[in-house]
Amino acid sequence: MPEIRVTPLGAGQDVGRSCILVSIAGKNVMLDCGMHMGFNDDRRFPDFSYITRNGRLTDFLDCVIISHFHLDHCGALPYFSEMVGYDGPIYMTHPTQAICPILLEDYRKIAVDKKGEANFFTSQMIKDCMKKVVAVHLHQTVQVDDELEIKAYYAGHVLGAAMFQIKVGSESVVYTGDYNMTPDRHLGAAWIDKCRPNLLITESTYATTIRDSKRCRERDFLKKVHEAVEHGGKVLIPVFALGRAQELCILLETFWERMNLKAPIYFSTGLTEKANHYYKLFITWTNQKIRKTFVQRNMFEFKHIKAFDRAFADNPGPMVVFATPGMLHAGQSLQIFRKWAGNEKNMVIMPGYCVQGTVGHKILSGQRKLEMEGRQVLEVKMQVEYMSFSAHADAKGIMQLVGQAEPESVLLVHGEAKKMEFLKQKIEQEFRVNCYMPANGETVTLPTSPSIPVGISLGLLKREMAQGLLPDAKKPRLLHGTLIMKDSNFRLVSSEQALKELGLAEHQLRFTCRVHLHDPRKEQETAMRVYSHLKSVLKDHCVQHLPDGSVTVESILIQAAAHSEDPGTKVLLVSWTYQDEELGSYLTSLLKKGLPQAPS
Amino acid sequence: MRVPGARTRTHTPNWPTRCPGISSLTMDPECSQLLPALCAVLADPRQPMADDTCLEKLLDWFKTITEAGSSLLLLQENPCLVELLCHMLKPQDLSSRVLSFSLRLTGVLAAQEDCFQYLQQGELLPKLFGEAGPLGGAAWTSPAVRSGWIQGLRSLAQHASALHFLAHCGAVDTIFSLQEDSSLFVASAAGQLLVHILGLSMQGPAGGPPSLQAGDWPACAQKIVGHIEESLRATATPQITQALNVLTTTFGHCHNPWTQVLWVQLSPLVAGLLEKDPIPAAHSLVDLLLSVARPQALRAQAFAVLLQPLACVFKAMAQDPGPSGVPDGTVGGSMTAGVPLPSKAACVGLLCRSLAHLELLLPLPQRPCPWPQAPLLGAAVTLLQLCGGSARPACDMGRHLCTLLLGCVRVQRAALDFLGALSDGTGPRELVTQVFAVLLEYLRSPDSSPTVLKKAFQATFRWLLNSPKTPGCWDLDPHALLFLRDLLPVLQKRLCSPCWEVRDSSLEFLTQMTRHWGGQAGFRHALLASEVPKLTEQLLRDPESYVRASAVTAMGQLSSQGLCVPPAGPEHQGGQQKSLLVELLHILSTDSEGFPRRAVMQVFTQWLRDSHADVAGDTEQFVAGVLQVASQDLDWEVRAQGLELALVFLEQTLGQPRSHCPHAVTPPVEAPVGPLAQALQPLCRVRLFDFAFRALFDCDRPVAQKSCDLLLFLRAQTASSSSLQESRSSPDVASVEAALQRWQAGDQAQPLGDLEPEVVLAVVRSLDLEGLRGALAESSDHVEKSPQSLLQDMLATVGVLGENEADCY
Repeated sequence: MPEIRVTPLGAGQDVGRSCILVSIAGKNVMLDCGMHMGFNDDRRFPDFSYITRNGRLTDFLDCVIISHFHLDHCGALPYFSEMVGYDGPIYMTHPTQAICPILLEDYRKIAVDKKGEANFFTSQMIKDCMKKVVAVHLHQTVQVDDELEIKAYYAGHVLGAAMFQIKVGSESVVYTGDYNMTPDRHLGAAWIDKCRPNLLITESTYATTIRDSKRCRERDFLKKVHEAVEHGGKVLIPVFALGRAQELCILLETFWERMNLKAPIYFSTGLTEKANHYYKLFITWTNQKIRKTFVQRNMFEFKHIKAFDRAFADNPGPMVVFATPGMLHAGQSLQIFRKWAGNEKNMVIMPGYCVQGTVGHKILSGQRKLEMEGRQVLEVKMQVEYMSFSAHADAKGIMQLVGQAEPESVLLVHGEAKKMEFLKQKIEQEFRVNCYMPANGETVTLPTSPSIPVGISLGLLKREMAQGLLPDAKKPRLLHGTLIMKDSNFRLVSSEQALKELGLAEHQLRFTCRVHLHDPRKEQETAMRVYSHLKSVLKDHCVQHLPDGSVTVESILIQAAAHSEDPGTKVLLVSWTYQDEELGSYLTSLLKKGLPQAPS
Repeated sequence: MRVPGARTRTHTPNWPTRCPGISSLTMDPECSQLLPALCAVLADPRQPMADDTCLEKLLDWFKTITEAGSSLLLLQENPCLVELLCHMLKPQDLSSRVLSFSLRLTGVLAAQEDCFQYLQQGELLPKLFGEAGPLGGAAWTSPAVRSGWIQGLRSLAQHASALHFLAHCGAVDTIFSLQEDSSLFVASAAGQLLVHILGLSMQGPAGGPPSLQAGDWPACAQKIVGHIEESLRATATPQITQALNVLTTTFGHCHNPWTQVLWVQLSPLVAGLLEKDPIPAAHSLVDLLLSVARPQALRAQAFAVLLQPLACVFKAMAQDPGPSGVPDGTVGGSMTAGVPLPSKAACVGLLCRSLAHLELLLPLPQRPCPWPQAPLLGAAVTLLQLCGGSARPACDMGRHLCTLLLGCVRVQRAALDFLGALSDGTGPRELVTQVFAVLLEYLRSPDSSPTVLKKAFQATFRWLLNSPKTPGCWDLDPHALLFLRDLLPVLQKRLCSPCWEVRDSSLEFLTQMTRHWGGQAGFRHALLASEVPKLTEQLLRDPESYVRASAVTAMGQLSSQGLCVPPAGPEHQGGQQKSLLVELLHILSTDSEGFPRRAVMQVFTQWLRDSHADVAGDTEQFVAGVLQVASQDLDWEVRAQGLELALVFLEQTLGQPRSHCPHAVTPPVEAPVGPLAQALQPLCRVRLFDFAFRALFDCDRPVAQKSCDLLLFLRAQTASSSSLQESRSSPDVASVEAALQRWQAGDQAQPLGDLEPEVVLAVVRSLDLEGLRGALAESSDHVEKSPQSLLQDMLATVGVLGENEADCY
């Protein structure tokens, strides 16, 4: 039984780390290879032993697809390819390929900072892993092998994020990764064509949320930053190097320009230039507005945002600093935080999620007395704000995408079970399709009915063409021929050709049927009556009365004979070839109804 | 939210002292104080957990505590724990995660027999793990709960009482059924648990050796074995797979006499599976057979099976009259052709698997003897020729194989890996020539994918390394040198590839070759006659940072061996080498990516170590220039590498090579009195201490550690020297110490200015470097990941969640 099987190793009813195994028409694909930032040991990686039980990774998997550069989608990649051992191809978009190693290096640094981190990859491993990457363009159909093909669609969310269609023959699965259905300051909205996949695997982070308009959040953000700066405070915004940081930079830059503000804005660790470089390089991936204005003014060349130097943190007066890493777990952002935390004029704005075990998590949960290294206690007097700027589709957006793609069924990942349950019902009601939400380790199996490609012989095709109709993919039509199955290939040829190819002799196959007619007249007269009757009824057919007294309609032969026992009854022998089966049956039923009364 | 019981400690103003850390081995009073509140939160179904890792980490902590001490005591001192477990029995809308956690916690606690008895008294165990517990309720539909149930039992199954409990509460039957669970995780854990219980029950009640008569085995073991037998007789493949997996784990884990008895009992059933057509659960069966492949006879058979696909290839090509003259399949004796290779997918799969297994087998001492090295080599070469399109098969089967394998990257990858591994053995000269020929074919072919090309480079390097040498001479043998002449033009072409992966792999290959043969005349001659050095130099300006980094490394290596492009005319005398130094310095100060800058620092450090001609000319100027740039670098690895270079310079200046371990106690040298101050002068002139002191408070821990090591080394080296004026109280020292204080507080705006050796030594002696080193040796998140911090976080989350909903990136 042909089927599609999906097993999440991560992102099944959680948002920890995405890793989904898909088997489609005998091909095995791994979708994303994410890392859980909340663990320091092997638990941060998906448990690949469930794959290796089916043989070596390289032999089992046909390819790996990475949807975007966030670590919960690509963080386990070097571990997977260089430590567990996978030599096959890894597909991702060009921007993802460029940015992935930067974030992996960033995280490696944190791992090195944390002692006792075991089993972590090296820089060389990151490079060797990146060498296995095959970069793809949007809407480009990439042939992984003879049968498996993939195609990327724009997903918004972050620079280079893509949804992927995986197709084998007529069966297909679409995986959304993370996506955003509304455009933001620097990216456009996700889009997919009506590809009608057998299955749509969609993220469901905001499965039950209808998000307030982005404008509100932006206004709120600007207001808070403005107020803090007006009161002489310093604002710290911990960010990851690439992603939200760029959007917030554009936001502040525009606001500063409009309000003619003078307080300096800094971006730490020299990443602005690097980010700029990538946004320039991949300008086609940003939204229309940025692309349009790019010629006059590059949105990523900031007038107000300058590179940060460690010494600036002590400068008097207000300022805004973007610093990495985003969860205040080490490095520069933590150093600045410790310095500024004691002053109630200052403010820290957390624009994203923080895992447990980080200072970011602590302050977001309201803790104000933090134990620091060396048993020091840091009293947090600065204002703490949380503003989620993560760009995921909300419930409305997810429904919109399902409507766009028109899948046969839907599978939810990357969300919380309770919220998924709600969305599942909604999708099932509205679209009348099955919706699944497997937990990690659970397998969803979908039966499919694959269409099998059949080659048609030129001769047969020409004969069909000769009938005047050009082939049209949208209008299927009936074609007669002989199906030859050989070497797991299917070919449709004319019967003559089939006979010739297979070296077989032709047999004529005729159906015959006896119809009893009450008619005391002579056989010839009965035959004549039959002829007249059919001639009047079958105006479009060629009806003939042959010299031997028999009647033909196309290949159908009708002969009248006397009944051996009943002289008042005549027997009509009707015979036809299998090609005229339809007409033959029609004629017999017609004759069974009897002949019209002869004019007296 | 103000956390009750949170510690307030006074600020320690001075240098960091060794932080004793929070002992996680026992429950400290602060944690004990927080625990009741936490248990109450866990028992409250209205309180969701913010982070799915919290409960895992909490369980980790309980495991550490119970491994170090008495679980019974833990329960008695913290009655809230038992209350939490009892709470799980009440019918209510519990979170499946908390329920799963409780089941696992119960198991961890009950692993100790006295604690098990204690929990039994309250009938808690049968209520949690028996029919009356979650097993019979709605919660059971959650895979997390089923998984918690299994893991709980897995933890508690450590002693005879537990075994008795398992046998009587019907758990074993539930475990049987969970082997077919819809969740992979649950099903797999159920299988593991069965293996564990079987092993435990075979340990016997008194710990004595179990009977070797299967009929006398404990009831529980017999039940499990009976279940395995039944599954092996089943017609459904999943059931057979489960049984085979359980057996594989059993035989893989222990090699007791009873496992042999078990194998004798079950092998007829397993053999029966082999006779079925098609063979069910083939992969699991292979695993099982590999795990029991102890008898020599079986090993030989297994080897024959592994060779079969390659034998087929041989057979297909045997009539090949071509010049390559692939050895006949019968040469190896053990390689006899069998089943023909069917469809493409099956053919590729079989060949890859066979090659991978043989590669694994190759280095093992128990590999079959005699090892058919030559036929295997021939097979690998033939396969590569088939995939590359250079094979000329004469028979139909050969042509069929050709169409199946042509351009097949999978087989190419596997065959190149295998070919590389085979380089450890020898082969007939003619065959070795073929190996080099096929490798060259792959390196040349425009169809080779970047991965295939990389593997071809790796295999080539291994074969060159192992090519026969003239005794006492490390140069390449004449054949290899001939090969090199063909190889260099290929390398030249690959260095210009539009694919960055290819350029990078080529540079890595060049670096490896130069490192090994850079000093050998034959290699030098061939390399210098080629365009390779010039092209490498050009790649220093490659658009791809990875390639720039590899080019830096390669150029560094070439330059060390004097293999850079010779100057074009007399006017350039010596100019080329200088310009490389300048070029690398330029990369160090201007490259926007970290990788090339790191590579430059590594090259410079090596040059300094080796007293490279350019460096030796004016070492001080070189070091000063490099340190000035490196100390300002934004990349922590460049700064750390800068300190490594500083350390090398320090060693050279003080004339005392560092012992292998930086922390080892080196006997202080009797430094001559006068020269010490003098010796330190150059270090001060290159502003090494300014960098080191600043790095001591670097926000990136490894940098601070490196600096700490450097200063400790300096102190050890100068410990005995009392000649320097004790300048502890001089105003200079005070100002430096004040500056360091400010730096520690994060203010690094002001430089230290020129430092005198006396001041440096006084400051180094006054620093609590050991304390700092101890503090730095801790994980950067050791405070945040302490148990107390975890409990505080979990408590603090209560009530906040509504505002800040669980989110992600």
